[in-house]
Amino acid sequence: MTTSDGAVLGITQISGDAPRNRAFNIVLLADGFTAAQQNDYDTACTDFVTALFGTPPYDELRPVINVFRVNVSSTDSGADDPSSAGGTGATARTYFDSSFGGNGIRRLLVCNTSTALSVAAAQLPQFSLALVVVNSTVYGGSGGSVGTYSLAGGATEIAIHEAGHTAYGLADEYPYYAGGNETGHDHHPAGEPSQPNVTLNSNRATLKWRWAVAASTAIPTMSNPNCTGVDSRPSPVPTGTVGLFEGADYYHCGAYRPEYDCKMRELGVPFCRICRQAIWNRIGSLATLPARARTPITALARYPEHLDVFAVAGDGRTMSNWWDSSSGWAGWFGVSGGYASPGGAGSPITAVARYSGHLDLFTVGTDNRVWSCWWDHSGGWSAWFHVGTLVARPGSTVNVVSRYTDHLDLFTTASNGAVMSIWWDAHGGWAADWFAVSGGVAAPGATVTAIARYPFHLDLFTVGTDNRVWSCWWDDRSGWSGWFRIGGMAARPDSGVNAVARYPDHLDLFSTASDGRIMSAWWDARSGWSDWFQVSGGVASPGSPVTAIARYSNHLDLFTVGTDNRIFSTWWDSASGWASWFVISGGVAKPGSEVAALSRYDEHIDVFAIGSNGLVYSTWWDASGGWANWFQLGIT
Amino acid sequence: MQSTDEPAPFPAIRLIFEHTGTDVRLISQQPVDVAVSGYDVHPDVRTGHYVEVRDAAGQPLARVPVHSALSGSTEVFPEDHSEPITRVDTPQQSGAFTVVVPASPAARRVAVIQVSHPEPGRPAIAARPTAAAPGEPAVTELADFALETGR
Repeated sequence: MTTSDGAVLGITQISGDAPRNRAFNIVLLADGFTAAQQNDYDTACTDFVTALFGTPPYDELRPVINVFRVNVSSTDSGADDPSSAGGTGATARTYFDSSFGGNGIRRLLVCNTSTALSVAAAQLPQFSLALVVVNSTVYGGSGGSVGTYSLAGGATEIAIHEAGHTAYGLADEYPYYAGGNETGHDHHPAGEPSQPNVTLNSNRATLKWRWAVAASTAIPTMSNPNCTGVDSRPSPVPTGTVGLFEGADYYHCGAYRPEYDCKMRELGVPFCRICRQAIWNRIGSLATLPARARTPITALARYPEHLDVFAVAGDGRTMSNWWDSSSGWAGWFGVSGGYASPGGAGSPITAVARYSGHLDLFTVGTDNRVWSCWWDHSGGWSAWFHVGTLVARPGSTVNVVSRYTDHLDLFTTASNGAVMSIWWDAHGGWAADWFAVSGGVAAPGATVTAIARYPFHLDLFTVGTDNRVWSCWWDDRSGWSGWFRIGGMAARPDSGVNAVARYPDHLDLFSTASDGRIMSAWWDARSGWSDWFQVSGGVASPGSPVTAIARYSNHLDLFTVGTDNRIFSTWWDSASGWASWFVISGGVAKPGSEVAALSRYDEHIDVFAIGSNGLVYSTWWDASGGWANWFQLGIT
Repeated sequence: MQSTDEPAPFPAIRLIFEHTGTDVRLISQQPVDVAVSGYDVHPDVRTGHYVEVRDAAGQPLARVPVHSALSGSTEVFPEDHSEPITRVDTPQQSGAFTVVVPASPAARRVAVIQVSHPEPGRPAIAARPTAAAPGEPAVTELADFALETGR
């Protein structure tokens, strides 16, 4: 009953083609299959793959899952089945020493986990999950660091449930320890469980899965009236409703689960939404992101050693990835289950960090209403919530400015093109509702740009219905000004206006003319507005805006997608003027897409773009080494 | 993105541990080219067992959770899925577990630790507990080992 009772025959990939160092790799190990029974093992492995990908969310994650079978021959067929635990008394000499009757319970099928992990690591060092398939039709299995299951009907459910613990840290959602008649499990002890799918918290505002709870769902959704036993009443809400159901984590009361039922509560039913999200975030983070082609990416640095990036997936999901100098890129994850409006170029996620431990996010949802959520270092992600009652133009951008830490100003366009605003203040919360800014109306597809040169001053820019660039301003002493036209340039109707304040009494504007020429104008407190001029002969891809950043007060860096869809940059320096446009590391973007850029410190630029294959890419420039090559943005 | 440190030859190390109850032994260290996701290396403190990567000064560099091991109980599954899943206590169970930790160039040691909720009114009892402020999770070190960094 040791490794001398068989031999490792080899490893075969039976599903998936993802790079092994960027995939969720499942290794199946044979036990109790003789050399002549390897075909039976192969069939069992195929059955597992069918069961796995028939279980949401694994069906959606198939592109980043590889499944391998390790063929191992054993001297004997089957597994030990001791009579002391009610078995047949059979013994079998097998490689992983599998045996029913663990702890005197026949269905508890255990193996030598040390041998199983060592073989898995030797065969596939990158493995994520190891499962031992035992050649017996007696029902059984077990969890732990290595899952085991037999060939009995439905035993693959054990493997999929146990993977929930081993790979994603999910809790058991059943409300008992020994079937419900046990003592000492009436009330869950104090201390919030760390797992994502159980909680002691019944506060809607701080609930860890609050992002998935509809406002119309009662919290708690179901309370146990008799804590001496399990609440066996049917669900008061439709299947799939996410709420707060009392009875979880082995206790009748005091702990809650997200849905009435879940595979972490009962085999044979689907995973609940919260468990599906946890699985998705663990495995999906290994993937690159196919993004909505023309929807802008938002990147910001809460502090110089950290980046947060927000993008919209091809199906509209709101996604994020972060980089930290200590750990690299974390991998893409869904932000609170949100979806962005697909209109026009698609609504982006805009974000602002009012302080280093906090993020506020905004987008226009599929209902064309403005939504927000936040992340805080102390409490994680909130749910998305509506901001006011405005119905925005489909695909609108929500521009956000934080003039000071306790204040936000938002700008977007209504369904009729009206330029609208609302504000939030820490002392009074959100204003009553959106208001129209001085009667301004934006051209179809135009965005509203806002910039705060001082904490008490705002400048707004947009392309009007006459395709000219317009501006207005707000000052806390005088309120909103009227709109006024900047120069006579005919802008492309869907242009954005990018504004940079290199210092408080100066503005540089960038936009695209109707023929695609990249244009600039500037304002200075002493001399007023300049006329528009073309920047170094540049012409942008139809639909592509110009992005500008100021690394210091006498320097500008510009980025755009050219007419050949290559990613271009130029710079201006007060000492040398405008440089010629150049291609950044051979990068090619989706036609009409936007280049995002930011500077975490003076001599460094991070750039993000959607490549010609639709995936999100990044590169960086550093004064010490120049431009790096583009890389697909996923996990480090 | 770039780091100020020299990049490690492999981005990660697979560690395999054996244990009897909470007596833990490190039996294998294997450099491996695989990504360690942000899902696992999350910065916030949660209860549970972790393998903590430390630098030469003993400062934590990363914590990777140990799921489904060292729990002291095991699940038993019913053949009829409508019947309840149950658990049985296995306090001195022997077994093995594995984690993949990021191979930071500064990494020198790994420790198996337990982060637990403080018991009201009494200090954490542990073999080698770290100091915890009142109300903060208690960290208990179960074992620590030198990394074969190859540097």
